[in-house]
Amino acid sequence: MRKMTLLGVSLCGLIISGQCLAHAHLQSSTPANNAQLTESPKTLRLNFSEAAQLAVLKLVSGGKEIPVPLDKAAKPGQTYTLTLPALAPGAYTVQWTAVAADDGHVTKGTFKFSIAP
Amino acid sequence: MELSGWEAAAALAKAITYAATLGAAGAIFFLNYNEALQAAQRRRIHRGLALLLIAAGLASAAKVLLLAGSMSDDFAGMFDSSFIGMILRAGEGRAAGIRLVGLIVCSTVLFSKRRVAAVGALLAAGSFAAVGHVHALEPNGLATLFLLLHLWCGAFWLGALWPLLQVARDGDGAQTAAVAARFGNIAMYLVAALIAAGALLLYRVLGSVSEIWNGAYGRMLSLKLLLVVALLSAAALNKLRLTPRLAAGDAAAGVCLRRSIRTEMILGSMILLATAALTTFAGPSD
Repeated sequence: MRKMTLLGVSLCGLIISGQCLAHAHLQSSTPANNAQLTESPKTLRLNFSEAAQLAVLKLVSGGKEIPVPLDKAAKPGQTYTLTLPALAPGAYTVQWTAVAADDGHVTKGTFKFSIAP
Repeated sequence: MELSGWEAAAALAKAITYAATLGAAGAIFFLNYNEALQAAQRRRIHRGLALLLIAAGLASAAKVLLLAGSMSDDFAGMFDSSFIGMILRAGEGRAAGIRLVGLIVCSTVLFSKRRVAAVGALLAAGSFAAVGHVHALEPNGLATLFLLLHLWCGAFWLGALWPLLQVARDGDGAQTAAVAARFGNIAMYLVAALIAAGALLLYRVLGSVSEIWNGAYGRMLSLKLLLVVALLSAAALNKLRLTPRLAAGDAAAGVCLRRSIRTEMILGSMILLATAALTTFAGPSD
């Protein structure tokens, strides 16, 4: 009976220690969403809530896509830093797609920033 | 939470994978504890099993391709090797590999290797534990065990419904009552284990009971729980009312039992669809 109680308490402990989890969401970015910059950023940094594989990254301005090199074979990570080409003044939209490394779920999102003339 | 047609299609493929895999696994368990079936009944169940095994394999592949398509929202994405590689490396490859081996071993049932096929059924049904929300937990060993138990008991219950309906269609009331009673007696314990494992797993994944009422994940989960309650009610009706009436020679009970099994099958399909949506569109903190 004591063994059963101990086992029950241990099981409850393991169960209660559970934490909330979600798919890989973008926690922060540099430039941040709606950032208004005075000069072209040299890099684009994305910080996810959990380790993920960045699958797609599109940088769009005025309906045109600006190529940003992305290593699709890179190991999953929580932070991605991508080198940007020199950007002209204007409004930019970043579209990203990531695959969570732990559970394989696909998440997507967008954020914007602008560069003043 | 944004939904695209690609994600909806991937969730549907996932639901078909669940239904076909658990349906095949449950039917193999059914054949193992009902060894005295007539040859014609066994042949019909074997034909259905062959179709389910093929459907499980095809739907598993379709799910990976549709998830890859969802990454770029176009058909080209479905066949992009880097996208497919990312999905397979993130756990889906491990799960699909275990499932494929399980389904191949399951196919030995067609050559009357019921015991060997049962091992394949455990592998195929358990393959869903190799990927998903549970894998983001730290530690996840106990949660994976709960999930395995939940999947195996779910396969036993839901997968037994279609072969049970095949037997009930033959119109032999005494045999149907005996088969339904045998299923009901084992199911009583396994359904209790299924619910206990599901509840413990939910608490482990959600972290608190209040999460059930919060957000998209909680709402979809509440829908699934409502469907489970409806399914349990139909199952209780079968076991406590219809099967004893059929055993007592009431022919009308046979018609009611067939209708009730069909209702259970519809509710079971809806539960699998809700589960697929739950594991595709939202995470526990969404």
